[in-house]
Amino acid sequence: MATRRLTRQEQLQQTIMYPVDWLEERSGLVGGLRYFLFRKVPGDINWFQTLGSATLTAFIVQALTGSILAMYYKPDPNSAYPSIQHITNDVWAGWLVRGMHRWGASVFIILMFMHMGRVFLFGAYKYPRELNWILGVLLLAMGLGEGFTGYLLPWDQTAYWATVVGININGTAPFLGPFIAQFLQGGTAINPDTLARFYAIHMLMIPGAIFALIGLHLYLVIRLGVTSPPWSKEAAGTGPSPNGRVTKTRRGLMRPGTRRNGR
Amino acid sequence: MASDRIVERRRVFQQYKEDVKERGKPFYPYAMWHDTIMSLVVVCVIIGLAIVWKYSTPGNHIGTEPGWLGKLYDAPADPGTINFVPRPDWYFYLLFYLLRIFKWPESVILGTIGLPTLFLVLLLAVPFYDLRAERRLGRRPVAIIAAILVVLSMGILTYKGATAKEALGSELKALVPKWAADEGYTGNKQAVAGANLFAVAGCANCHTYNGAGGQYPGAPNLTAEGAKNKGIAFQIAHLKCPACVNPGSPMPSFTGLGDARLKSLATFLEASKGKK
Amino acid sequence: MQPHDEHPHVPGPSLWPVGFAVGIVVLLIGLIVSWYIAGLGALVALAFAFLWVRDLTAGTPLAHAEEVPPESPTGAAIPAPEGGDAMPPSEPEERYPRSKFLELSTLGVGGVIGGLVSAPAIGFMVAPAFLKQGVKDHDIGPLTDYPDGKFVVATFMSDKTQGEVSRRTAFVRSNGQLNGQPSFTIISNHCAHLGCPVQPNGPLEEQKKKQLGDVTLIPTVSIAGFGCPCHGGQYDTEGNRTAGPPVRALDRYSFSIRNGHLFLGKPFSVSHVDGAGASAKIHKWTLAFPGEHVNGIESWLYPVQPPH
Repeated sequence: MATRRLTRQEQLQQTIMYPVDWLEERSGLVGGLRYFLFRKVPGDINWFQTLGSATLTAFIVQALTGSILAMYYKPDPNSAYPSIQHITNDVWAGWLVRGMHRWGASVFIILMFMHMGRVFLFGAYKYPRELNWILGVLLLAMGLGEGFTGYLLPWDQTAYWATVVGININGTAPFLGPFIAQFLQGGTAINPDTLARFYAIHMLMIPGAIFALIGLHLYLVIRLGVTSPPWSKEAAGTGPSPNGRVTKTRRGLMRPGTRRNGR
Repeated sequence: MASDRIVERRRVFQQYKEDVKERGKPFYPYAMWHDTIMSLVVVCVIIGLAIVWKYSTPGNHIGTEPGWLGKLYDAPADPGTINFVPRPDWYFYLLFYLLRIFKWPESVILGTIGLPTLFLVLLLAVPFYDLRAERRLGRRPVAIIAAILVVLSMGILTYKGATAKEALGSELKALVPKWAADEGYTGNKQAVAGANLFAVAGCANCHTYNGAGGQYPGAPNLTAEGAKNKGIAFQIAHLKCPACVNPGSPMPSFTGLGDARLKSLATFLEASKGKK
Repeated sequence: MQPHDEHPHVPGPSLWPVGFAVGIVVLLIGLIVSWYIAGLGALVALAFAFLWVRDLTAGTPLAHAEEVPPESPTGAAIPAPEGGDAMPPSEPEERYPRSKFLELSTLGVGGVIGGLVSAPAIGFMVAPAFLKQGVKDHDIGPLTDYPDGKFVVATFMSDKTQGEVSRRTAFVRSNGQLNGQPSFTIISNHCAHLGCPVQPNGPLEEQKKKQLGDVTLIPTVSIAGFGCPCHGGQYDTEGNRTAGPPVRALDRYSFSIRNGHLFLGKPFSVSHVDGAGASAKIHKWTLAFPGEHVNGIESWLYPVQPPH
């Protein structure tokens, strides 16, 4: 216990921190958040390494705009197309939310590929991050699955026929193909239940899987750490600098690198 | 009994953790700042695309006319249509074009399932067959070459999928006056009738003509077919039995159209001397 | 309570409060439902209240439990590994020691619950792929609308209860008579490669379009076969593949004739057709998805077809 009166600043700080401390004592979550925010990352990381969080942002945009669209969209073959027209033409900012969702999908997929390429070129899939790479490829597959199932939802000519071809492509898989195709269609041919099925897969099943996989993916990133760029002169993992100190040269986002002989 | 390689890797990872602890900077605010900027860029791009999509469509921006980024929506789904050519979303164009490359019936399954699954499995297994610890780009020639090849092939396939043309009878019929004007046979009634027939008889499923049509690999461009001066009799004989006249030709016979129509088509072909 | 007592006065375990609570609940319910129930509830509550109070006010050892340090439970709930309060070691003949039984039964019951929840859910999701779907006949117009030797593009609904989503198109040609019965060639317009809509290779007589209820009929003039604009598949007038990636001939519909009207029945797949018109020999197979070979080596990739 303090034996002197606290200064005004300290008093203010105590008041502000009171709810945070209350939460921390009862849940321990604040400590977790602090760990996430203030953990150390290598000093030489690069703009390319922002692609991962950019992909996450694109996915969050999709989740939010998708949830809002779900309030107006009707997954029945007779009302799907009119509901899309209604969203695009009548609902206030409906065109914006629908446009963001539609183009957010393309941006999400582009960013996933760019992020994957960056990880590949940085060699950041090597030990001990192999599991993270596998999770990432699964996320890629899920993302493409979202694009496929979502394409049917407007129920216009493009949507319907592209989905017919897509289902038949799945149907050509050996052994299980016909069963997969019938599972996707919900029957022997596209019927009124097909749209609801695609909607359920698009809205609930794949996003649920994506949220879970993203959680695991982020957990591994935090646990295993982020790699330094492979060209960095003072990459983490190569040991301490020879003279123990760092000189100011232009390299990396946060921390200038040293010039070292050889390497 | 851990192998030397795994022992070395563990040591390097330990070193990594120590280096980060010693020389690293806190994630917030340093790295998170750049993440936030990038996220802002992403959100602005998405919003920008949405605005362009809507407001570049003509008129009062509702309806099925396409703008710079395509249509807001197409006509309602008609499962009984005979006048529509499906296309997937752009990120599937490379699979779409792959289907055109594998045009032999026995190889269809390679294009639909075989190659994409193989690619996905190879992608998934990368950390298990690239076992070197080397991360510097200059010392990973195989990785760089593989990456360049993959990116190039995906890019080329996507581009070709995007520019691939299809032949829709109703759309082609509307182009006939332009064709006649371009090639100078507007006054030739039989040639124009033949052009209309060409538009709906499925010829453009494989052949290209004046920039329209299917581009099936191997089917010649017929824009200047008449300039070769093969003669109407040849054209009729060829249409009746392409493989007889041109051994090995995969083109089917068009005898079913009847002699009168075959003559119209032949006249049209011979009148197509190329764009003026 | 004794003022010099160092341990707090903690009542021992007892069921009397529970009985009292039950009585109160029954009493309250009885006030709404019926006086008899209320009376019963009051009696039960009074009885248990008497017992409870008797316990509390008695100076028996039950009312004063020893302080239980948390590390060594005295109850029989969790077996301690050793010591006087430990689970009694199992007799040599005993084959299901209690902890093992609890473990197995927890896992077993958990598995049963998991099965009970997921089996209907997964069945609900997957069953349509395995259930036979009945096909109803659809009337596509009187026989007089189908001139001999020419194809008519017929658009109809295969199941009116499903609405527009069941709309289908078929190319119908009358072949005259075969053994005294009318013969028809009815070809589905789904390409055998990947299901794109197939176009007739030839002009249609749009001005002669007929509308009979939900059925639309458009006659053709003369066609040289069918072509698919998606990937360049070509078929002849019997539906045989002549060029391109389709893996078999176009599917066909079986038909029947009632009261002078043509009715379409179940569709089926065709590997190829020998001959033409009424005397054509059609090699039939059960309906398969587009892209699946029905004969030849590659048909071994699809040994089991789900029921159609």
